[in-house]
Amino acid sequence: MSAEPLPLDPRPSVPERSFFRFLLGELRPRGKWLTPFNLISIPVILLGVGILVVRFIYGLESVSNLNQAYPWGLWKGFNVITGVAFAGGAYVITFVVYVMRLDKYEPIVRATVLNGLLAYVFYAGALILDLGRPWNIINPVIGNSFGYNSVLFLVAWHFMLYMVAECIEFSPVVAEWAGWRRVRRVLHSLTLGAVIFGITLSTLHQSGLGALFLMAKPKIHPLWYSEFIPILFLASSIPAGLSMVIVEGTLTRRAFREQLIPAGDRAHEEIVLGLAKGACIALFVYYFFKALLFVHEHQWSYLGSPWGWWYLLEVVGLVLVPCVMFAYAVRHRRLGLVRVAAVLTLLGIVMNRLNVSVIAFNWNSPATYHPSWEEYVVSLTVVFAELWVFRWIVRRMPVLRASPAASRGE
Amino acid sequence: METYTYVNIFETKGLEYLLLISFLVLFVVLVRYLRGNADTANRH
Repeated sequence: MSAEPLPLDPRPSVPERSFFRFLLGELRPRGKWLTPFNLISIPVILLGVGILVVRFIYGLESVSNLNQAYPWGLWKGFNVITGVAFAGGAYVITFVVYVMRLDKYEPIVRATVLNGLLAYVFYAGALILDLGRPWNIINPVIGNSFGYNSVLFLVAWHFMLYMVAECIEFSPVVAEWAGWRRVRRVLHSLTLGAVIFGITLSTLHQSGLGALFLMAKPKIHPLWYSEFIPILFLASSIPAGLSMVIVEGTLTRRAFREQLIPAGDRAHEEIVLGLAKGACIALFVYYFFKALLFVHEHQWSYLGSPWGWWYLLEVVGLVLVPCVMFAYAVRHRRLGLVRVAAVLTLLGIVMNRLNVSVIAFNWNSPATYHPSWEEYVVSLTVVFAELWVFRWIVRRMPVLRASPAASRGE
Repeated sequence: METYTYVNIFETKGLEYLLLISFLVLFVVLVRYLRGNADTANRH
């Protein structure tokens, strides 16, 4: 089925005005201020910024419960490791649209790339908050201490290069917004190369994040440790990314309804069902990976313990059940059920990443870690800040609506 | 005289092979089930 045309951007092209006046005009707030989202997010962000000021003046210990036994807590476990898995939708959708040429998914590609780009900027950026000496983050780049032997060297470079690739993928949208037609043509010609480069980097750093835990064998509970953690992280990032695209698409359609064409519901339904089909197959493969490793590692004996029940909740409740729900929903065209399954999948990924990095980490150690309230507030601040930037961009740039350049067939 | 030896598939690769074969069979079943969606779409 071919994609339906998007509504045109009604604004005049920018060269008619001075760019700086245009930029100043764009910086002005738009839309209503007194919305439930603003009322919740503004106090959280202000509180989070205050906590971060304290954190950078007095150190990590002043606001977090991190210690020598638990140097990685909620910020890395949720914001960085889980957030990067959620951003997996960008590489999957760009592969489907630009490499496999499935035009049906083109209407969502810009929003998905923007979501992926912001996820990396904010969630990988959140790494700075969690480093005891944040200024050292530049070391793998400038060569002060490359750290060739560390998986972090690979992850750091991949994150950085992937953000560049995502910027190139999204840059035609910025050029269209600013009215730079020639620049847009040049940037658009770079897209396919950036997509292929980005997909390669994604497969490597999604698995690289898992590889970080390979050296922690004695610390991670056997039900979650495996030599194949990198493959599990990569395999699970596909349903995570697709589910995130489904959930994000649903929320976006409600929040930015004025930018969407009224007759686009049928196309949207087909896109959601296609994504659900992909998520179903990816979850099925991931579930069998987990089952195969479970058998291979002879882990039956652990199932009788609370850790075993927790593991079953993750693998059966939040991998197999959503997989079956996706299959049923696709077959019977139930969009509501697809969304429920997508949310369950996201919960499963959050649970898996937190189990590996925080909950089942140091499972046999007397030391314990419970995130402080400040850690929760900062985590929410990062999420809300990303949503604010996402909203700012979508309201101004041709992310959901078609641009004049697209209508001219450039 | 040879005694009977019980091969415990839980301690061998047997269970993994069974799991893999069932995966391949179920994968075909799943894909066929999902493709049935096209018929449902036509009915709508």
